[in-house]
Formats: sequence, structure tokens, C-alpha cells
Amino acid sequence: MNSTLLVGLWRQRLASPIRVVILALMVLLPPLLGSVVRGIGLQALGDAIPLALVLAAGMIGQDVSSGVLQLILARPVRRSEYVLSRWLSVGFGASIANVLQIALFWGLTAARGWAPSAETIASFAAGRELQIFGVAATMALLSSLIGGLGDLALYAMIFVFGGIVTMIGQTRQSAVLHGIGEEIGALLSPKIDVAQILAGAPSWFAIATYASNITLCLLLAILIVNRKELSYASG
Amino acid sequence: MSIQVQALSKSYRRLLAVEAVRALSEVTLEIHTGEIFGIIGPNGAGKTTFLGCLLGFLTPDSGTIQVDGHAPDDLEVRRVTGYLPERLVLDRWMTGRAFLGYHHALARLPDSTRRSEVDAALEHVGLAADAAARPIHRYSRGMLQRLGLAQALLGNPKYIFLDEPASGVDPAGVVLFRRLLNEVKGRGVTVVINSHQLDQVERVCDRVAFVKGGRVEAVETLAAGATLARVLRVRTLAGALERAGQERIQALARGAGAELADMAAAQARFAVADDDGAARLVAALVAAGVPVIEAAPEESRLERLFLEPPAQAKS
Repeated sequence: MNSTLLVGLWRQRLASPIRVVILALMVLLPPLLGSVVRGIGLQALGDAIPLALVLAAGMIGQDVSSGVLQLILARPVRRSEYVLSRWLSVGFGASIANVLQIALFWGLTAARGWAPSAETIASFAAGRELQIFGVAATMALLSSLIGGLGDLALYAMIFVFGGIVTMIGQTRQSAVLHGIGEEIGALLSPKIDVAQILAGAPSWFAIATYASNITLCLLLAILIVNRKELSYASG
Repeated sequence: MSIQVQALSKSYRRLLAVEAVRALSEVTLEIHTGEIFGIIGPNGAGKTTFLGCLLGFLTPDSGTIQVDGHAPDDLEVRRVTGYLPERLVLDRWMTGRAFLGYHHALARLPDSTRRSEVDAALEHVGLAADAAARPIHRYSRGMLQRLGLAQALLGNPKYIFLDEPASGVDPAGVVLFRRLLNEVKGRGVTVVINSHQLDQVERVCDRVAFVKGGRVEAVETLAAGATLARVLRVRTLAGALERAGQERIQALARGAGAELADMAAAQARFAVADDDGAARLVAALVAAGVPVIEAAPEESRLERLFLEPPAQAKS
């Protein structure tokens, strides 16, 4: 891991007012909703996917299309090191936002007297942490494929496509189509049910799927970045 | 210790295109340690592709490049390489100082020397302290180019690759650029320059490769005392040359070490060896009473190379 690259991406993200505002709204609004609407509980916070996406969008593609990557890779930095640093940077950055959001939710709901138990909160937070690193790996792959913020559009397209396939699978009662839709969903948002693990009944299949999804995405991203030609002459 | 390029070929295959576009064909040359080596050629000649291959940004179809015996993308090579791209794209939210600090860290130079080396680099390229504290998006083109040059010089690299380094730089910046190149040359650094500015290349380069159609058409030595002649065009008052006579003008030229190429009523063209030869010729003409009103080099050596490239490569 390259700490300069890791911190560099955070600073880059913090320098973008749009991203900062979106991230701040994402961190603040759901806990406020949870503190106002009794009974909604942790559902108010939803998935951690948006937290990861706001930091991940363009994580590699923006550097490629702007030409910044050329200057970075003229330094003694391996391309694999660059990809993994980007992944970890998005993962850790979104993790911090996740912890802040959950801590805020817990504080506000505790003040109102309806905070979930510490175990529930911990399990929920851990599940979302794993989801964040999973989504960051998927975005690393998509961002290595397409320049600028195209990875976000690609993510949305695959998400919609997966949803349609799942829906068709359900309406036609096709297990194959339904399975494909589920796999697409798992690729876009790899996650593990931490509550199951804490309850002593881990799904080893789910854990293996999660690990293999992340590994595959990162390996493919490294492979693609390794093969990338970085001179504008190649454009 | 040198850069050795052997039978380098590179082509680009466009999406849906039947044939690949050949950018480099069987390029073979050696860039010696401590020399300033220029790459010139018309647009689309393959210069940027060549530089991209030298830096390991592009993968050749065939052939080899060795920098100190290593592949160009070897981390050992990267550690001693500085690079200034033509299209300098920076994280524009950073300040100049933060940008150099970032690259100092990426170059894996010691943390303990970061502040002092960054400040020294900024001073070296003439970026004042207040400019260094300013976000890059408020820099002029010339300031950006200076910052890019400072970035390329960080850590005293052994190899420096410059892609159009004087592009957009003001005259003071051009002078500074030449001074910096002379400094790094004095330290034995090998510099490779890709540039369209032939006069700049001619002033700083020891040797230059003329690239055309993906091939190295010629490698010329430009060091002081090079035998390549340049053409000096001399204008006089109307009829002065005719009155002096062609034989006398020829004799005056030969006496000054020049050669009369052709002559008209108020203009003559001479082949001179260098700037000193041109000065001697003008002095001789004036001393002989020829009323010279203008003397100007018709074209530089490299301009001539551009206009009439040699048929075969030589090294």
C-alpha cells in the first residue's frame, strides 16, 4: 500500500465541493430521519453503497482521462500498487463516513430513547464496512475500464440490467434468470450477513463468494491498468 | 550507462479498423550518458510515441529499450527518472508546494528532506514563495511549466525526459530553462527533449534525431564546432553588390571563411560555418565598403534538416 496515494485520493475528494456536500448530506440526513421517525430503526441508514460510490466514482478513470496517472506512474510506483491504494483509499474513506453516520444515528436515537442495542449496531456497522470494500473493488474494476466518471454510469447501467433480469426471472419463474440477476447484484454489492456469523452460523458459500468477487475485481482491474497505454499518442 | 534502443516498432490498432497505424518502424539508436538528446520531426512523425516507449508508458510491438540495462518501466529506472509531459495536467486544487511535496513522496525521497528540497526546487525554477502557496488553478501557463520542470528535477534524477518543455513559457522562462539544462548537463544527467522549437533544440542539444514517418531519418551532432553550414542572407543598398562584382564578393567571403551561394542586385546568400563565421563575413563586407543594411540567417541547421532531411540515417 502506498500511503501517499491513499491520502492523495482523500485530499482530491475533499477538494471537490460537490462530493463533500453530497457526502455530508449522506452522513447527516439518514440519522436525522432515524431520530425523527420512531420504529424505522437502522433501515433509515439503508445500504452503504452510496457512501462508497460518492468517493469511488472516477477513482482510476479520472486520473487516466486527465493525464494525472502518467505523471504518477513516471514515479517508482507499480501499477498494482496504484490500483490497490485507490481501492483501500476509497474503502477506508467510506468506512470513516460509515462510522460517523452510524455514531450520529446512535447518539440521536439514544437521546430520543430508542437506540438499538450495541450488538445490533456493531453487527450492522461491520456488515456495511464489508459492503463498502466490496463496492470499492467493483468500482476499481469499472473505473479501470472507462475514463472520467463513466464508471458511475456503468455501475448504474449494470444495476438496472441486473434488476430487469431478476424481475424477468421472477415473473417467468426462471431460476436461471433469477440466479443471473442475483449474481449481478452480488457483483455490484458484495456483502456478508455479519449477524449470521455472530450467531455462529456463517454461510461459507457467501463468504467465499464475497472474497472471490473482490479478488476477481481487483485482479482484473490490475490487469487492465497494467495493459493500459498511457501516452496521448495512443489515443 | 546509456539508453539503448534496438529495432523498436510500435503500431496502434483502432477499434473496427482493418489495418494498424504504424507509429514507429525499426528504430535503433543510442543515447549516451550525460548528453542532451533532441527528438525532432513533423507532426505525426512518431516523436511522442517514441518518448512514450522510452518512458515505459507504451508497450512496443517488437524491439527493445534498455536504460542502464533495465527495462524502461523498471522501478530502478523510475527512481532516477524525471519527466515533464507536454500536456501538463495537475491536481489543480493543490498548491505548488503541495504538488511538489506529493511528487517528492511518490519518488520515495526521504521525508526529512522534503520541505527543504521542495523549497529549493521552487526557488530553482523562479517560483516565488507566494506563488508556491497559491492553488495551481491560479497559475499561468508559464508558471505551470516551471512547476512541471521543478517536479521533473526533484531528487536529482539521472535521466530527464522533457516533452515540449518550453511550450508556453515567456522569454525569461526560456532563458531559465536553458540555464537549468546546462546545470543538469554539468552534473552528467542524460536529457531527452521532444520539441518543435528548433532554435531551442539547436541551442541546448548535443545531438538530435530527426524522426519522420516512424523512422529515424538522421541523427545529427549539434555540438559546438559542428561542420554543418548555415545560410546567411545579406541585403545591401540597391546595386551595391553589382558594382562590387561577383568575383570580389566571392573573394571577400572566402577571406572570411564563407562561401557565396548566389547573388542578385541587392541581396546575396552565403554559406557560413557558424555565428562567428557570419560575424566575420559581415565585418569583411562592411570593411570593404559594401553598404550592408541587413544580415539574417535564412534558416537554422535544424530548419534545413526539416526542409531537406537526409535520405539515409547516419549516427
